[in-house]
Amino acid sequence: MTANAPGTAALMQGNEAIVRGAVEAGIHFAASYPGSPSSQILGMLGKIARERNFYAEWSTNEVCAIQACMGASFAGARALCVVKQNGLLCTADALHCGAQQGVKGGLVVVTSDDPSAHSSTNEFDSRWQAQSASVALLEPTTMQEAKDMIPYAFELSERVGQIVIVRLTTRVCHGRGCVTLGELPEENRPLERVREWDRMVCVSYMHGPMLEKLEALRGAFNESPYNHYSGPEGARDLIVAGGTGRLYAQEAVKRLGVQDRVGLLSLGALWPLPEDYILKHLRAAERVLILEEVDPFLEQGLEALAGRERLSLTFLGRDHGALPKIGELDPDNVEKAISVLTGAPLPEKRLPEGAGKTPLPVRELTFCAGCPHRATFYLLKKALRQEKNPGIVVGDIGCYFMAGQSAGQYGYQACNCMGSGVSMAEGLGQLTHYGLDQKVVTICGDSTFFHTIMPGIVNAVYQSANMLLIVLDNSATAMTGFQPHPGTGLTAMGDRARPMDIQKILEAIGCEVEVADPFETVQAEKTLRRMLARRGMNVLIMRQPCATLKTKERKGKKPRVWVDQSRCIGEGCGCDKHCSRVWGCPGNTWDFSTGKAQIDPVTCVGCGVCAKLCPAGAIQVEGGEEA
Amino acid sequence: MLSTIALDTQVLRPGLCTGCGACQGLCPYWSSVKGRTVLLFDCERLDGRCQRFCPRMPTDLDALRRKFFPAETILPEIGPYRGLCLTRAADPAVRARAQHGGTVTALVELAMKEGFIDAAVLTRSHGGLDPEGVLAATPEEVRQCGGSSFQIPPTLAELNRALKEDRYHKIGVVGTPCKTLAVYKMMANPLPDNDNHAGNIGMVFGLFCGWGLDWEGLRDLALSHCNLNMLSHMDIPPSKFHSLELTEYRRSVSVDLDEVLPLVRPACRACTDMTAEFADLSVGGARSANGWDVDKGWNQVIVRSEKGEALLKLAREQGVLEFRDPMEGGLEKLKKASLGKKRTGVKAVRDLTGGLGYLEPSAALFENL
Repeated sequence: MTANAPGTAALMQGNEAIVRGAVEAGIHFAASYPGSPSSQILGMLGKIARERNFYAEWSTNEVCAIQACMGASFAGARALCVVKQNGLLCTADALHCGAQQGVKGGLVVVTSDDPSAHSSTNEFDSRWQAQSASVALLEPTTMQEAKDMIPYAFELSERVGQIVIVRLTTRVCHGRGCVTLGELPEENRPLERVREWDRMVCVSYMHGPMLEKLEALRGAFNESPYNHYSGPEGARDLIVAGGTGRLYAQEAVKRLGVQDRVGLLSLGALWPLPEDYILKHLRAAERVLILEEVDPFLEQGLEALAGRERLSLTFLGRDHGALPKIGELDPDNVEKAISVLTGAPLPEKRLPEGAGKTPLPVRELTFCAGCPHRATFYLLKKALRQEKNPGIVVGDIGCYFMAGQSAGQYGYQACNCMGSGVSMAEGLGQLTHYGLDQKVVTICGDSTFFHTIMPGIVNAVYQSANMLLIVLDNSATAMTGFQPHPGTGLTAMGDRARPMDIQKILEAIGCEVEVADPFETVQAEKTLRRMLARRGMNVLIMRQPCATLKTKERKGKKPRVWVDQSRCIGEGCGCDKHCSRVWGCPGNTWDFSTGKAQIDPVTCVGCGVCAKLCPAGAIQVEGGEEA
Repeated sequence: MLSTIALDTQVLRPGLCTGCGACQGLCPYWSSVKGRTVLLFDCERLDGRCQRFCPRMPTDLDALRRKFFPAETILPEIGPYRGLCLTRAADPAVRARAQHGGTVTALVELAMKEGFIDAAVLTRSHGGLDPEGVLAATPEEVRQCGGSSFQIPPTLAELNRALKEDRYHKIGVVGTPCKTLAVYKMMANPLPDNDNHAGNIGMVFGLFCGWGLDWEGLRDLALSHCNLNMLSHMDIPPSKFHSLELTEYRRSVSVDLDEVLPLVRPACRACTDMTAEFADLSVGGARSANGWDVDKGWNQVIVRSEKGEALLKLAREQGVLEFRDPMEGGLEKLKKASLGKKRTGVKAVRDLTGGLGYLEPSAALFENL
């Protein structure tokens, strides 16, 4: 990542290519909040920050991250902000104000979208934010472009004094490709002292200059090396592709044998729209297929452009039924769309012998073996079922989002975005003063607590809502890969910091706080039920480290958990596979041949909670040491 | 239908659950809070003890009683009948804690001493509030359970746990009609692969019952009329008094029955058994020509089985119980009251379910009330 070996080829993941690009660009500053699919970027930057003499931080949330970058930019630093789609939306105010105030040192925001929401709760299209905030937008297709676009983006950013957004998608972040390395700067450009009359202020009269900056880049984009065309001159069937669509199209065009009559216009520098460059190809075309991830962003832009120029074109794309309205592009749906565009028949699909015959087992997302959240949601369901009226649980974003499924006993009824739970619950909790006779519960993780929950807690305490917040304190940002957060006592660059004490913060705010260990099921259930009976803003901290973290740090042998087959009553009345069916830990499996429970010794981490819950007392825990 | 869903949809949701506890103490899925039966997690078995034992799942009551009692002893109005008498405990210490005459406490103690039973599942309350099921293994423990409660605890959960433990092999059970019916269902209708150790049930003592009350509602009502710490007894005298009597230390507080009736559990309105027809002996408050002031210290006992008869004989011989001659026409009065409950019960079942519901298999018993 830090080898100064220009011209050398390296196999890189997209996220790694971004890191390399940032190093080649000589960044001074990087800030991020983890979010798939781009979580690895800042983790890697943190590791090499000292060596390359820049600063990197895992910020408490994305707003902190982008605003820290703006501060750094004011002193002439090149600052890189890395967020995922939802994170970019979090920064919306900062981004829009930042675009009006402009930047001094280059400020590049890398945002990663997750089409089809592989590791997200939803799919969004970041590109609208660039359009809305009037900042330039780049989108790489290959790993090489991912690397090259970072120094390019910094150069554009400094050329006009404006933020530049680089949009990635999951396949670009996680795909691997060959990258030819560029040169590393000898040393970073020196910082610039902020002078008395320097100004970086968002005020309304900056609106005009902001639009001028954007317009200034349109010319550059008409000439950008990241926009190119392949195929016959004056093709009547034109494909316009941004991001991953380009590679799928190249493949499909070949497979369909239409290389000689289809043009492929690839746009990597796509906002502001390079109108002249696009029009050059649009004028010759009759039918246009747009391939892009998530929303019809280019499609609508091109339609507007064609309309303005009074071109009579047939458009195909997500808005016109040639592609599904939602979900990511793939070789199949792109091939089908190109077949519609060109009339070329779809080649017959030939699967290898036996392929597709055995259906894959359906597997639901679930918590890891030994995950403390499983115990918390088991106890929560049990406690709420004992309430006179069914309670309301509002979820939040983190691993525990999966609690909405069987993993968490279908544990919540509502879940909006990260940080929303406490305030949705506050709203419901206020209604308990107006006749709503239900217990209101919400959940957050420790990382989410710092991210956006704290203002909601202040609100709930101050406004006297009746509710219970359960903080799932597993000492980790587990969902995205154990990035440090203010509760962990670590920083992105590996330094020790004084960990923030969630309990003390809560007490200082004025909450009624109790702490329980979800693995001590009897005690924790009692505490939970006691807190449910209380009025006011109550917080229960469920403290038990993440099982994956514990396993990583375990030095001794893990306890051996096994099922006494003579005591197990299996599907019998009185159990009905309670461990594998209801408790549902992946470590609790079922022996179909004997009709008895068993433990998968590889998956099991030895937490022993299932033994506490076994109605027949058949599960045994032996030996082992605590992590 | 899945066991838990069957009970949930056919019993709990329609408001037929009596809270007896027959479905509890068996598995991780059923529990109870303040008289409310709660389903913690779904079970996916097609058949189970919970639905077999539940007194509000359809039962052929006539077939069930013929299985345990000779046909010629069965009276249509009050079930198996071998005699009626008025009794009270001879020991004043037993009577001091008793609901009426202390007959049940005295009989259970005697049954335990004489080896009719080796333990007993009873209900213990604190002045009629916060009752709980108790497994008593000594006469002293039995005595702690004197006095009734109108809050209905899941006592049979305790029975199920005791049966499973298999430590006692002749367990006596004291309960309201819904509970004793469930106990007979346990004995008559075991799950093929799990008999729940029903053979460990030794003897059944039924309690006359008009209805049970909403747990929290009764507590709140009592709280509004007296100091709960001082509350020692609660009773409903004959209907002409139209009241609930609370005894607070030595003071008596009379609460208008109109305040109490809204708290009657819907399930109890849909009950057709006043005299606990499934039992060896059924015991209730006495009704005689002497009036309530005397009657409230006495019980009436319906003898239903030979075992019950034998125990009562022993009680007379040993002087454990004092006997009084029953009032003339006492049986007829009892039959009339019992029929009255059957009529209103059937009407409530029809209102709740649109048909005879859980009584359907016993339709013939309820045709000409």
